[in-house]
Amino acid sequence: MKMKRMLALLLAAAMIFSLAACTSSGTQDQGASAADAQDVLEGKTYVDTYKTYFSSSYASFNYFSTAYATVREIVSNCIDGLVEPDIYGVYVPSLAESWETNDDETVWTFHIRQGLKWVDHTGAETEYDLTAQDFVDGIRYIADPQNDAYSMRVVRNLISGLYDYYWDLDDIDCGDKTDMTREEAAARFDEMVGVKALDDYTVQYTLDSSAPYFLSLIESSMLLLPIEYDYAVEMGDDFGIDNEHMLYCGAYYISQFERDKAITLTANPHYWDKDHVNLATVEYQMISDDTTSVEMFKRGETDYTTVAAEEYLSMQGTEWGDKLIPTDHSFSTNYLWLDFDGENPEFNAFVNNENFRLALMYAMNREAIGALREPVDPSRILRNTINAEGAIFDSNGKDYTDYSPLKEIKEMDYTNPDLAKEYMEKAIAELCDADGNIIGCEPTTVDYLPVCSFAVDGKLPVTICYVGTDDEDEIVMAQLLKAMIEEALGTENVDFHIEAFSGWTYGTVADPLNYDIYFDSLSTNYADPSGILTRLTTDGAENVGCYDVPEYDALIEEALAADTFEDRLQKFAEAEAYLAGKGFVIPFISSLRGYYMSYCVPHTSPLTLYGNDKYKGCQVMTEPITFEEFQALDAQYDIERAEALKAK
Amino acid sequence: MSRYILRRALRSLLTVVIVFVAVFMLLRLMPLSGYFPPEMIKEADEATRMVYLRNQGLLDHPMVQLGRFVGNMFHGDLGRSLTVYPKVPIATLLKEKIPVTAAFGFASMLIGIVFGVGLGLFMVRFKDKAGDKLGTVFILLVRAVPSLIYLFFIQVWISKWFNLPLIFYKDRPISWILPTICLSLSSIAYYALWLRRFMVDEENQDYVKFAQVKGLPKREVLKRHVFKNAAIPLIIYIPYDLLMIIAGSLVIETLYAIPGTGGLLTTAIKSQDNNLVQVIVLMYAILSVIGVFLGDLLVAFVDPRIKLTEGE
Repeated sequence: MKMKRMLALLLAAAMIFSLAACTSSGTQDQGASAADAQDVLEGKTYVDTYKTYFSSSYASFNYFSTAYATVREIVSNCIDGLVEPDIYGVYVPSLAESWETNDDETVWTFHIRQGLKWVDHTGAETEYDLTAQDFVDGIRYIADPQNDAYSMRVVRNLISGLYDYYWDLDDIDCGDKTDMTREEAAARFDEMVGVKALDDYTVQYTLDSSAPYFLSLIESSMLLLPIEYDYAVEMGDDFGIDNEHMLYCGAYYISQFERDKAITLTANPHYWDKDHVNLATVEYQMISDDTTSVEMFKRGETDYTTVAAEEYLSMQGTEWGDKLIPTDHSFSTNYLWLDFDGENPEFNAFVNNENFRLALMYAMNREAIGALREPVDPSRILRNTINAEGAIFDSNGKDYTDYSPLKEIKEMDYTNPDLAKEYMEKAIAELCDADGNIIGCEPTTVDYLPVCSFAVDGKLPVTICYVGTDDEDEIVMAQLLKAMIEEALGTENVDFHIEAFSGWTYGTVADPLNYDIYFDSLSTNYADPSGILTRLTTDGAENVGCYDVPEYDALIEEALAADTFEDRLQKFAEAEAYLAGKGFVIPFISSLRGYYMSYCVPHTSPLTLYGNDKYKGCQVMTEPITFEEFQALDAQYDIERAEALKAK
Repeated sequence: MSRYILRRALRSLLTVVIVFVAVFMLLRLMPLSGYFPPEMIKEADEATRMVYLRNQGLLDHPMVQLGRFVGNMFHGDLGRSLTVYPKVPIATLLKEKIPVTAAFGFASMLIGIVFGVGLGLFMVRFKDKAGDKLGTVFILLVRAVPSLIYLFFIQVWISKWFNLPLIFYKDRPISWILPTICLSLSSIAYYALWLRRFMVDEENQDYVKFAQVKGLPKREVLKRHVFKNAAIPLIIYIPYDLLMIIAGSLVIETLYAIPGTGGLLTTAIKSQDNNLVQVIVLMYAILSVIGVFLGDLLVAFVDPRIKLTEGE
């Protein structure tokens, strides 16, 4: 076995070398890569149980009303959607055998598999058939405000009539609408809302606007999953509170659930695609800290663990050093919010000046900040764009972030203290008199209570109040930001305060604008930039800094009205470049961090870019995969994926 | 005595009511945005958030909410968790969690008393000798060193040396050993420290010296007089400790992945889970007053010199 492993490592290393060296002999490389990947897996043995863990509580399995991201992973394995991505991220049939859409992609019709039934927590078939009506009822369930569906915004605004139906019911509940009863309003669902069961096995969605990204929304949003309505109504508030109060139609059912402790998924014996389910059981334990999970991995008590970047360095040179694999991607972007409407008159005067915002942007050494999160290779987590790279592609496979002028922002090196100083001097020239008094700014006391309160004198240096959480890592990052900004712009020009706030940050800091600069994140949740960008307009829900950007708003309107998907992406790219390039928000790193060790063969389960990991297809070996083995398999996979995307 | 019990019960009831109402009202002063996890507050617009709050009854007047809660409680309905475990009945949660925490708490309390008292006696018996000094080192380590350091050491290294599981598994009794030991360490140190201190104090009393002068053997004096008197200040807390074992330990339950109540109240307060906070506070308040009351009764029972009423 050792000999084989050595051979595999040698072959993997040789393959990497050949890929790097022979850029002109693509065909030859592909052949070599395929052979190497095969060699890596030769002689491997596999098990049918996967032991893993979760780090925070599974609050509820009600996939429509839970706000917790952790629940998604279990649900995505237990409830199938209409479509699913294959291992290359190409959408393939799932509960829908086939689908079609009209020319402007506003009407989507799905043909459901026949003969499927919901199963219970013992894996036994119930009397409930899985039909097109279950998808209609899923929307019916979330359309009732009393069911507290979470994250309604995208779906409610997209499916025709859903918005009006929802608020009609709510108006009745509030007593604002008295011309009909709740029952009468609910009876209008079928005529009002754009989701219909054309027959038992055909469901059709009618959308208010063109949605070429609709399949990715099906992957990412739990609100488009089916529900057995009679069962859910019978359960009432108990629906999804544990494994015994829900039904399953996915590759697994939850056979055991111990709150805050353990979850066992067992392969669904009636699953429509059971031949592609390799793992009979997935066992979860709750482990709250990384150190314990790493130690358990070393002792063979779990088949997967994340490893913090700091620990990566300490594990080098040990027997585990060659098994550390960098985490793959994160669509979440960390950025700085600037408060355009706060009480600090000094910051208010400056933040509305473009030169000042650019000065802030160029003063930040993003790689140094990245090194706090990823000391091994900080460059891999840098991100200048709001939407993530590798998340959205046009029909030709071109990455959205490669659309000009967003591409220039993406590739820009913003670390330039000299330029930052120049911009700062320009801002001062425009905003201050010769004595350093900020024009129109009077001395006052700024009330950001309960966060902080401080006096400003209306003169340079301009006081900047950065508010973050009391998380140790975040405080270190804030201190680094302070050092960078004060050094680049000069302490005679800026006075950077740090306020570390303990408690509910959004409700106490962000929402009431008790900050000048604030640190947050946004995620690309489906294959369209609108997911984030429409929320960042002047009136958008995510514009917590209260800026006013009519130019950006107009570009967003143009993007939404574009005729083709490529035109749409182009306009969105222009809008995003406008917002990020002028410093209305300052994205700087992704949330990507850390490493992992695993017994899983990479790229054997669906590539869920927008949803959560699925175990369908996953192969688990009897020994952990090494980084060299991973690289060999990954190289082969990249070639295959490029071909698959091209053939899409 | 019965008058004392009645008066004490009424006073306890009043205490519970004041604590409960104060906590209930304080919770209503928290910002409404605190009822939403970060994911939801970003996704939901103001109107949708209001729908949620109204559905949960959080927009009603606090007195209406109080009346509803008390009314439901008298019908045996403790309500459902709001934010920590959305919609899960609180009674179900407590039913799941309390037995686990109580089992560990009871075992560790027993170990704490047995070994703590044993260690205290041992230290007194060998006062100022090596045994006493070793005991003092143990007590100092447990009480002075931040608990996370030695708890973590025990979890990672002791488990490795003795080949014990790193976390708790319900169906593997061997995995119960380390968390129980960890939970009992501080009580062992507590009982040993105070018993030693009280016994040393008693040893210097005139009646002890008199007994020794009269020729009673030291062992007999320690057992019949010194220990009995020194144990009284410790006994008073035993009923309270016994009832409050259900509170659990946040650190140890987290380290060993024990699905108990440790940290439940803290989490509920941080997440503004009003219903859960109210029930837990009510439960703890009731148990606390009962614990203190039973402690008073117990101490009067153990030491007949102590009178609970003036007339007795």
